[in-house]
Amino acid sequence: MGLGIAEVLAVAGYQVQVAELSPEIFERAVDGLRKRLVRQAEKGRFTLEFADTVISRIQPVYQLDELKTADVIIEAAVERLEIKKDIFAKLDAVTSPDAVLATNTSSLSVTSIAAATKHPRRVLGLHFFNPAPRMPLVEVVLGAETDSELAEAVFGWMKQLGKKPVKVADSPGFLVNRVARPFHLEAYRIIGEGLASKEQTDRILRAAGFKMGPFELQDLIGIDINFAASVSVYEGFFQDPRFRPHRLQQAMVERGALGRKTGKGHYNYEK
Amino acid sequence: MRNSVVLIGRGPLFWEVKDFLTDYHFRVVTPDELSSEIRAVIDVETGVDEVKKHTLVQVESRIPSGVPVFTSALHRTATEIASWLKHPERVAGFSPLLLSEMTTVEISRPFQADDENVWNQCLLFWKELGKQVEVVGDEPGLVFPRILSLLVNEAAFALSEGIASAEDIDLAMKLGTNFPSGPLEWADEIGLDQIVAILSGLHREMGDDGYRPAPLLRKMVYAGYLGQASGRGFYRYDRK
Ligand SMILES: NC(=O)c1ccc[n+]([C@@H]2O[C@H](COP(=O)([O-])OP(=O)(O)OC[C@H]3O[C@@H](n4cnc5c(N)ncnc54)[C@H](O)[C@@H]3O)[C@@H](O)[C@H]2O)c1
Repeated sequence: MGLGIAEVLAVAGYQVQVAELSPEIFERAVDGLRKRLVRQAEKGRFTLEFADTVISRIQPVYQLDELKTADVIIEAAVERLEIKKDIFAKLDAVTSPDAVLATNTSSLSVTSIAAATKHPRRVLGLHFFNPAPRMPLVEVVLGAETDSELAEAVFGWMKQLGKKPVKVADSPGFLVNRVARPFHLEAYRIIGEGLASKEQTDRILRAAGFKMGPFELQDLIGIDINFAASVSVYEGFFQDPRFRPHRLQQAMVERGALGRKTGKGHYNYEK
Repeated sequence: MRNSVVLIGRGPLFWEVKDFLTDYHFRVVTPDELSSEIRAVIDVETGVDEVKKHTLVQVESRIPSGVPVFTSALHRTATEIASWLKHPERVAGFSPLLLSEMTTVEISRPFQADDENVWNQCLLFWKELGKQVEVVGDEPGLVFPRILSLLVNEAAFALSEGIASAEDIDLAMKLGTNFPSGPLEWADEIGLDQIVAILSGLHREMGDDGYRPAPLLRKMVYAGYLGQASGRGFYRYDRK
């Protein structure tokens, strides 16, 4: 995810430093990016030269204090609150208080991450969607302390980058992950109550205009990812029954039927 | 005339379903114009008040016992609605939402519809209209209306909590998860009264607070902000 965001910025002409834990991880990720860009160049989207330029704009660093002169830092490390708090405390200490500190977290509290810094006004969420270069939506998440003018400026910057930003107040699941919950959870309730089969539910929702029904979509997203999102929003709202996850969801995860990536999920993908 | 259909209902849904049936060369009559030669009764009343029951009972007293009765199961189960009638075995629940756009029609089978032949005769009506029939279990809102109403409910909660603007909620759901329409604009199209009827029906039947309609939705319905049809819902519309 991190390198996808770096790609967006490098394509727009920015010099991007990527802080990784080790050269091995960085090189593996950049190899992937290079292959993707070359494939796109071959399709004629841009020249091979441009692909090289984009890659050359992305430079690795392996210590956070090397980021001290950056104007904007977007964090996309693993989804663990303690790790993010630790990263933000360090960044807060080494950067100028004018630098913008953003987190790409999809489920943690921006307010809580910001609280690890001495300057929480300059901390906000920038929630990109995967894959960042292709998905135009960005949730600009305002924590309890986020400076609204700063959020406005970042919002404008996202537009300049060709993104479609929306402003969202920090709250569990932000906007998309929260409002999409019933699409999945209600589908589980419907099959759990024996009202319709998975195939039927998917067929009906496709007939109503959705590109994919909830079960085929979960197979694509990953049933474990979708379950984790359900649990996280449910806990975030102190177990409001609207968000109650479903036992059938958990059973899929326990079985290891996680969707396309494991060859079986709600549907079978084994050849 | 076997080509007549009795249509029961009010509001924009009535006109939509009427247009749909007229396009298929049915003569659409209201309960007042009822003749004895009719193909089916189609009732699109959601049934949050007593009108639905009253009208159905009246209409039934004037039609033969074999005429199929299709009744909107958005707010009540088909089983409950069938229980009001003398010949409940010819009752089928259905979803009147997006009837002309969708190639599929959702039908729910009440407990009382236990005669296989009568039931298959009922379903023929939709098959002759070229619809793919999906028979689903009998709970308020069937499948699509139930999921849609819960998406709208969550969007309404988020809006009233000040999480984002209506425009941003709709935009984000279209771009972030590829929804064909934003939940709030979709609610305006379908009618907030329908959405609240589905939610309150589920809330009553399931007894689960997960179905509690957002207070914002209820108040919008009280105020007559029903969506496109009333000129104002989550958005404003020029009245034609
Ligand atoms: N994958 C998605 O679909 C998606 C979508 C939106 C947001 N996000 C968010 O983006 C973030 C990253 O997601 P991901 O799927 O790329 O995760 P990931 O675990 O695959 O990648 C995290 C990367 O961060 C690196 N990293 C750099 N500094 C680190 C540090 N100090 N401690 C730990 N790791 C460090 C890791 O080496 C790893 O390469 C998460 O916050 C996630 O919620 C992910």
